[in-house]
Amino acid sequence: MGAILKAIEYVYPKQKITNSDLSVQFPDYDFSKFEEKVGIKNRYWVQDGETALDLAIEACEKLFNKIDKSSIDFILYCTQSPEYFLPTTACILQNKLELKKNVGALDFNLGCSGFAYGVGLAKALIKSGQAKNVLLVTAETYSKYLHPNDRSNRAIFGDAAAATLISFSEEEQIGDFIFGTDGSGYDKLIVKNGCSRFPFDANANEIIYGTNNVFTDNHLYMNGPEVFNFTNEVIPDFTKEVLAKNNISIENVDQFVFHQANAFMLHFMRKRLKVDKEKFYIDLEDGGNTVSCTIPIALKNYSQKHVFENQKVVIVGFGVGLSWSGGLIEINNKL
Amino acid sequence: MKKSVFLSKLQEELEFETELTETTSIKDLEEWDSMGAMVLIGFVSDEFGIMLNAEDIKSITTINSLIERIGLDKFI
Repeated sequence: MGAILKAIEYVYPKQKITNSDLSVQFPDYDFSKFEEKVGIKNRYWVQDGETALDLAIEACEKLFNKIDKSSIDFILYCTQSPEYFLPTTACILQNKLELKKNVGALDFNLGCSGFAYGVGLAKALIKSGQAKNVLLVTAETYSKYLHPNDRSNRAIFGDAAAATLISFSEEEQIGDFIFGTDGSGYDKLIVKNGCSRFPFDANANEIIYGTNNVFTDNHLYMNGPEVFNFTNEVIPDFTKEVLAKNNISIENVDQFVFHQANAFMLHFMRKRLKVDKEKFYIDLEDGGNTVSCTIPIALKNYSQKHVFENQKVVIVGFGVGLSWSGGLIEINNKL
Repeated sequence: MKKSVFLSKLQEELEFETELTETTSIKDLEEWDSMGAMVLIGFVSDEFGIMLNAEDIKSITTINSLIERIGLDKFI
């Protein structure tokens, strides 16, 4: 007995921001180079009053067109954009979706490593007999954390939500998942103010970083070069560990679906791992870096665009924390 | 690698309009940004098998200092 990833649906907010929209605000910057290297053409941001939970509800309702929602007995909700400090957003989601009350529901706070974590946790809940149908939701609105003049991060990050159903299966379709953590890099990608350690500061100073990018400690800060270095130093070897753990060689993997952080970085890792282009998914043109949503969005699009049976797919997420996770899944139908 | 080849390849990779010379202070160029740093790390790794870290990027000034970091023995 085991678990199977059965279906995925995702949504973007309605507000689409193209590179030409951004170049109106940042006329001195050459977005064509950005588009070519980083691979993003547009991203979607929520508008005022719209939250990650709103997106999550929409994604789940889309999923419920295909599956019976009364079968769901556990909600795993991955976000760093919760509705409130408390209560747990997953509890609100249970009510909004009118799910039965004898379900487990919890939030977990992870970013780009969140989806692979969620699949590993869902599998464990199912294999230990604690759940049969896990609704894994990733929902993120980093746009709310971005400074209006933070050109780099505004170009990279987009909002989205994805809903994934992972169910009990007679045959195991989800392989082994492994995890990694290095909290010494906690400040490489951080929203410093507004939580317990540092309160929101209405007079926070504007700080200039990189090339004329602006943020304050109330906003999201990312040390791009250091995150890039961490990824290149840790993730190729980690991917090899994922392969070893699952007793599979690179040649026998049908597709690598990494967190879609940045096309240049993905190409760079692909070359280091010596994986063919056709077997390494890179597509973030439409949507950008949607944090924990990039992998389910990629899996959904990949399964829709290809005809296949029994695909062995390695997923790897990495980022804020610093945190990383990965594993093998088998997909034998369109998601 | 010939230094002149290195300079032209690097310029092409970075897509800079400014012509690079050994004395160019690369980070003072208007075209330099964190994406440039990323491209530079990728280029040096592909060509020389050396991973520049964040400290290296911080300490690099001129192209000559970059060449020294990579190792003078790698150049002719």
